[in-house]
Amino acid sequence: MDGLLLFIAGLIASSAVAMVVGISFALILPGIERKVQARIQQRVGPPILTPGWWSVLKFMYKSKVEPIAQMPAFYKSLVLIGIVIVSFLLLFVTPYWWSILGWGSILGIAGLLKLEEVLYVLMGSQSQSIMSSSMPVPDLAKGSKFIGIRREFNEQHSAERSLKMMAIGSIPLYLGLVVPFIAAGSGMLNAVVSLQNPDYIVSNWMAIPIPSKPLLFTIPGAMGAIVYFLGFVMLMNEKPFSILKAKIDVIEGGVLEYASSLRAAYYLMRNLLMFSLSSIFNTLFLGIPFDPFMPSMMLINMLLSLIPVVSMATLAAFSPILTFRQIYPAAMGISAFGVLAMILASSL
Amino acid sequence: MIQEKQTEKKVIEKELSFGPVHPALVEPYRMRFFVNDEIVEDCEININMAYRGIEKLFEGLPVEKALLIAERVCGICSNVHAWNSVRVIEGGLGIEVPQRANYIRVLVHEFQRITSHLFFFGHAFEVLGHETFAMRSFLLRENFMDLLQYVGGNRVMPSVPIIGGIRPRADLNESLKKVITERVDAFESKYKDYLNRAVEDPLVMSRLSGIGYLTKEDALKFYATGPTGRSSGWNYDLRREMKEYKPFDYDVIVLNEGDTKARVVSRALEVLESLKIIRQIVKGLPEGPVVNRSWVAKKMDYTVSYVETYRGELMHSYGLDQGGFIRNYKIRTPTITNLAAMEQACIGDHVTEAILTIASCDPCLTCCTRTEVIANGKSRIMSDAEIIQRFGWRK
Repeated sequence: MDGLLLFIAGLIASSAVAMVVGISFALILPGIERKVQARIQQRVGPPILTPGWWSVLKFMYKSKVEPIAQMPAFYKSLVLIGIVIVSFLLLFVTPYWWSILGWGSILGIAGLLKLEEVLYVLMGSQSQSIMSSSMPVPDLAKGSKFIGIRREFNEQHSAERSLKMMAIGSIPLYLGLVVPFIAAGSGMLNAVVSLQNPDYIVSNWMAIPIPSKPLLFTIPGAMGAIVYFLGFVMLMNEKPFSILKAKIDVIEGGVLEYASSLRAAYYLMRNLLMFSLSSIFNTLFLGIPFDPFMPSMMLINMLLSLIPVVSMATLAAFSPILTFRQIYPAAMGISAFGVLAMILASSL
Repeated sequence: MIQEKQTEKKVIEKELSFGPVHPALVEPYRMRFFVNDEIVEDCEININMAYRGIEKLFEGLPVEKALLIAERVCGICSNVHAWNSVRVIEGGLGIEVPQRANYIRVLVHEFQRITSHLFFFGHAFEVLGHETFAMRSFLLRENFMDLLQYVGGNRVMPSVPIIGGIRPRADLNESLKKVITERVDAFESKYKDYLNRAVEDPLVMSRLSGIGYLTKEDALKFYATGPTGRSSGWNYDLRREMKEYKPFDYDVIVLNEGDTKARVVSRALEVLESLKIIRQIVKGLPEGPVVNRSWVAKKMDYTVSYVETYRGELMHSYGLDQGGFIRNYKIRTPTITNLAAMEQACIGDHVTEAILTIASCDPCLTCCTRTEVIANGKSRIMSDAEIIQRFGWRK
């Protein structure tokens, strides 16, 4: 019984530290992302803390703007559900959670990511801002070729695109996610970490266990990492895969109506997702987990989390938004590459 | 006829409408796409969102003041409106313009053609979602914004042409000629580098090619002038017929592909031709006066002047009464016809691509929006208030 209580206390303490550190660090990432893009574009760019920390704090204290969604309460709750999902995603890759009901596994991670994707569909189908169909413009002229056609909100169109992205766009992420588990021959995170960093499992909290066989430096691991990274960009809805929130047509997509404190919540959700996915990358492909009770590993994990973020910012700076004409073949090609990585990983 | 019947029977899944208030639109207009899945089956563009009544402002003004208003018709092509405004009276009253003045008018016109095309690239790449190319385009544009300021004293409204020539302060001296040559040389190498990078970028090219087809027949039917028409194989450039351009050697860029990529590439190549013209002007600028002031405003019949501007063919026309005051000023900008052609060109595109196709004609809307009521053979302009009062806002 004492052991169980100790475990629960450890779990709570570990989760609290992970969340505080995770959120604090996650809110720095968009500033780095924007700064990298700005420097590529020969601009100065915003101060590092502005797009993350100060934006969130600023929006929290803005006067409330109620969304005109179909079910406003449901629409408002979606972003909060998103924060919960992403928080659990971060927690599931911390070692204390690995032993609970198999959540620290491929199923736990993939399941939460799928839920996160569904949120965008729900947000899009709920939101109905004034920017599109409800704009009071007298253009339903008698001379129009098509009269009585159903007019759709931009956000609803974005929801349809989310469905398409769910169906095909996110496949690379899951294929990339599977590669390390195939290499480890197990669905559990601790097996993946033990494979790459056997010292970590037996080290005390002050140690700095360096991974001896990081998967990233093997052929299937490198291939899987590339596929995972592209899937990460797709899930983050960043360019070139940002068709869900293409500014030129659907503007921000389903999140368009999140204003004031809800906008702050959305930023928190997005930034925490970015950090969680980067942290998962380090855990799966380098064997360096985000361990709140091992400061060295936590710090290394956070520093290495900058690599996917900076890479994503660079890719976004040099890419246009792709339409489904390009996304379908690109996703199929990347997926094929992922399948090859899986086959090769099975021989490791 | 058969085709029309088939169009009427089209099953349309839904309508998607964008604007007039939309972050991607630099000017207020409204696009209605009738789509199946995400493919545009038909399109309606409504540009009547911002009425300025600028033609009305000219009415009764002394002709010398016309170019001040004309220059303010558009912020991107301010010079060409001022130039065409003075060309009307110069043509109507037979005012001789010194050759040196004509050279400098063409120089400023080509400066602004380059700034306009680079602005277009900035906008097109923004619509494409490629911010880096958009930013670099604006950075390159600064070279010519500076040169406009050096020549005219102002970046956006250089106010160079006046009736009978150019303002004496816009005359070129040797040091300015040297600056122009140096800037043009430096710009050319950077611009070619920029162009190569854009053309060699497979992602950018995959977005631009194979969309927004406009056939030569459609270009002629809708009278899509300028680079829009020339990208569909219509070999028509008014500069060939303008006496101001006779001394210069340059190529007219005509492409046969007719797609969005062709419309972007033709403008990119036109910039290089403009550089060619600028170099010839600086090298061969004739000596002599820059303005002819020996003219008097008097009665002038309704006169028309056409200029090949950056987007196509621009018309200005007016008459003068006995006192030399303006009567019945009319302007027709190329966007009105080019945009109609784009309504046709975007059919069959993905929605996101259709917006790029529409942007590929480089629409400039506030200078082309007009409303006019013609009743009993007389025309009059309606005010905003009158339009809303009469037709109201409808959902």
